[in-house]
Amino acid sequence: MAEEFSTDGMLDIYLFENEQLLEQLQERVLEQKDADCFDEDSINEIFRTMHTIKGSSGIMMFDNITAVSHKLEDVFYYLRESHPDNVPHLQLVEHVLEVEDFISGEMDKIRNGEPVDGDASSIVADLDKFLNQIKSGGQKAGEEAPPENIHEEPKQFYIAPVATSDSRFYKIYITFYPETEMANVHAYKVVYALKEIAEDLLYSPEDIIADENSADTIIKEGFRILLQAQCTEEQIREIIGVGYDIKAVDVYECKAEEFLQGFDFGDQDEVKIDLNSSVEEIENKAEAAEGKEAEPAKPKITPGDFVIKSKEPGKAKTLAKDKKTDKASYISVNVKKMDQLMELIGELVISESVVLQSPDLNVPGLSLDNFHKAAAQLSKVSTDLQDVIMSMRMVPLTNTFQKMNRIVFDVSRKLGKDIEFVMVGEHTEVDKNIIEHISDPLMHIVRNSVDHGIESKEERLESGKPEKGKVTLSAKTEAGKVWISVEDDGKGLDREKILAKARRQGLLDDNKPDSAYSDREVYQFITLPGFSTNEQVTEYSGRGVGMDVVIQNIQAIGGTLEIESTAGLGSTMSLKIPLTLAIIDGIVMETGNSSFVMETGVIKEFIRVREEMMIHEPNGDEYIMIRGEAYPVLRLGKWYGLEEYEESVEKGIMLIIEVEDKKVCLLVDKLIGEREIVVKPIPPYIGKVKGLSGCTQLGDGSIALILDATGLVE
Amino acid sequence: MGETSDLKKRDQAASSEQDAQKGKYMTFKSGNEFFGLEIQYVNEIIKFQSVTAIPETEDYIKGLINLRGKVIPVIDVRLRFKQPPLEYNDRTCIIVINVKSMIVGLIVEKIAEVVEIKDENILPPPTFGRADKVQNKYVYGIGKVGDTVKLLLDPDKLLNDEDLSVVESAADMMIDED
Repeated sequence: MAEEFSTDGMLDIYLFENEQLLEQLQERVLEQKDADCFDEDSINEIFRTMHTIKGSSGIMMFDNITAVSHKLEDVFYYLRESHPDNVPHLQLVEHVLEVEDFISGEMDKIRNGEPVDGDASSIVADLDKFLNQIKSGGQKAGEEAPPENIHEEPKQFYIAPVATSDSRFYKIYITFYPETEMANVHAYKVVYALKEIAEDLLYSPEDIIADENSADTIIKEGFRILLQAQCTEEQIREIIGVGYDIKAVDVYECKAEEFLQGFDFGDQDEVKIDLNSSVEEIENKAEAAEGKEAEPAKPKITPGDFVIKSKEPGKAKTLAKDKKTDKASYISVNVKKMDQLMELIGELVISESVVLQSPDLNVPGLSLDNFHKAAAQLSKVSTDLQDVIMSMRMVPLTNTFQKMNRIVFDVSRKLGKDIEFVMVGEHTEVDKNIIEHISDPLMHIVRNSVDHGIESKEERLESGKPEKGKVTLSAKTEAGKVWISVEDDGKGLDREKILAKARRQGLLDDNKPDSAYSDREVYQFITLPGFSTNEQVTEYSGRGVGMDVVIQNIQAIGGTLEIESTAGLGSTMSLKIPLTLAIIDGIVMETGNSSFVMETGVIKEFIRVREEMMIHEPNGDEYIMIRGEAYPVLRLGKWYGLEEYEESVEKGIMLIIEVEDKKVCLLVDKLIGEREIVVKPIPPYIGKVKGLSGCTQLGDGSIALILDATGLVE
Repeated sequence: MGETSDLKKRDQAASSEQDAQKGKYMTFKSGNEFFGLEIQYVNEIIKFQSVTAIPETEDYIKGLINLRGKVIPVIDVRLRFKQPPLEYNDRTCIIVINVKSMIVGLIVEKIAEVVEIKDENILPPPTFGRADKVQNKYVYGIGKVGDTVKLLLDPDKLLNDEDLSVVESAADMMIDED
């Protein structure tokens, strides 16, 4: 028997499971937020979710979470039982979300090791008010509200005779609700509580902690305890705490001899606390007891629905099933360990190239056939290994998208806009690190769309649009990048307004007419700091901080933002983000004495050029004509002020780089080859250098700088 | 339970290690002066190795080196002190220091020795007089060892002084973004 009751592992599971439950809950609630009321399934599911959260929180002794979830469960219990038809649906949705927020907030505290001290009372009071409101508004005024399902006073009471000796012996029989998950843990909780008063304690099934099957046994056969203690039955019952998980508690007092006989429950001195069975059943049982009919050793005292009730079909049930298979096929891993593994695999890739490109191999006349075979095999394995670790780190965007759904809901409610939110491709998978980085920018963009993309209802009707606005959030993968776009059918960006503001702020070239700026260039202005065309500052946007932060965050992970807009028809903001940050394919090249790496994806072609293809402008700018197209030329050596770089364009090599339709020719001394590059950040001490996105270690142990194509093009 | 006692032990070990390190200084030569760094900041001393230059940074930031798979920045102490640069040779060393969990390598001309300097032998630097103002910023004390003096360096200031403010705030911004 486990003597120590360690909650650490359980706490993790608790947080993990509840987090998932809450996510599902939110998803379901938001799915139906526009309906007139929740459908039967949803009510059941929310009820069950709250029930489960309440149960596990009870075990973990987070009283405020228990209280809140209990209240919400009550509300949904009422909805389920009484089917009131005049429930203010949006209010209900808000209540559910409020509870969800509260619990999430508390769980964050738990995660951070802070005390779980959130004040549940106001939410509970609100819910109480709400429950009363729907109850009093109920169609059948005469009908009694259904009994509260949980903390119900026992219907039958037995007052124990005063004991003569100090120590008393009890047989306790506990029946759990059949849907209780991890009944063994619930049972252990009881044992743990009883230990404090027990002089001697035996229970069956015995191995409740280590043996998971005991949960089923407990559900089927009940949980039996033999207790020797100096207390009354009242106290025992108080300790066992009949509640959400325990259906009934039978306490029999017995004599020492009986106690020693072990688990053979008799019928005398029966005290039964029966919560859910009807009064008739209880009376029947009382009669049975009066008639001195000995109850069978394995009591079938549970009310009818307990034994036969087949599992209801429904999400929660399938969930429970899933969880069982989960045990076999999933383990949750600390993210730190994953990062470590990732790092190690990165090192492995580097070591591999150190070995494969070892200068020792360059001895002439060395027969390396076998070596090369083995090397090819090694490369294959390490590439596979990389793929696996990458796929392990990939997470679907679903959660992030759900968050956006919530934001649209909140903001549109506050602003009094009616908005349909559509999600496309939310199952697209992205590296976990990247998800963390895009959540905030995306939130900003979505908020912007709702707040000043979508017009007010009146404006929409005037311009002949449907009253209901539409925001579409979509994700797809293309060419090793993830595209996430937020599209709205609102008023679009106002080109004139942006231009006017840009001119006021002195961002425009005075000599250039407005028309000389492409839409693209104009829209990029809104991403500058302090630039907001929204005259009115609302709670959500308009302060001009935001888009620049969005851009910064996106650029930090090597992404870009594209803005498209048609006045009157809406705008689309697209994020283009690399699938992963850690390992990229890159071309290694040399300029001067330094090595550089450029991501393979942005290089369109390599080209050797002749001097006569160059066009020199008097101000020092250079262009090159290739197949009738002029590209600006950037000499990497000159750009970074390196020493001893190749001056002649004919001896060096040109790389044509294309980023977001902008093309640049980069002149480097020579190419080394294509490599898999493990990206490492430039130490923060150095700070940010324009045009560099990181560094990496090459096969010979030297360090190469990774060129950031976006930075170069600018 | 085992873990906490382990932690405690480690704490004790760390503090006793710190006690043992107290008053000890790693000294090195740069120009004509000897400088001292409190030994608790020093991670290790490595031979000079090739440095990958980083463009568009202060001249004393020489670039990056690969320290067993970790990329760390290195600065040239002579350049930091506005002394003329010196050709690197086989006596040139890199002192790897850890200041507030920032790991930086210092390129120094020559490593001297580890000396013990008692607190009473440390004088505050002269606040006026002929002393070179530039140097005074990083020198928080002058330690007497026998007949010689060592200029004791504040590594934090050495890395992050005023004229670094631009770089530093850029670094801060990067951290914020994270």
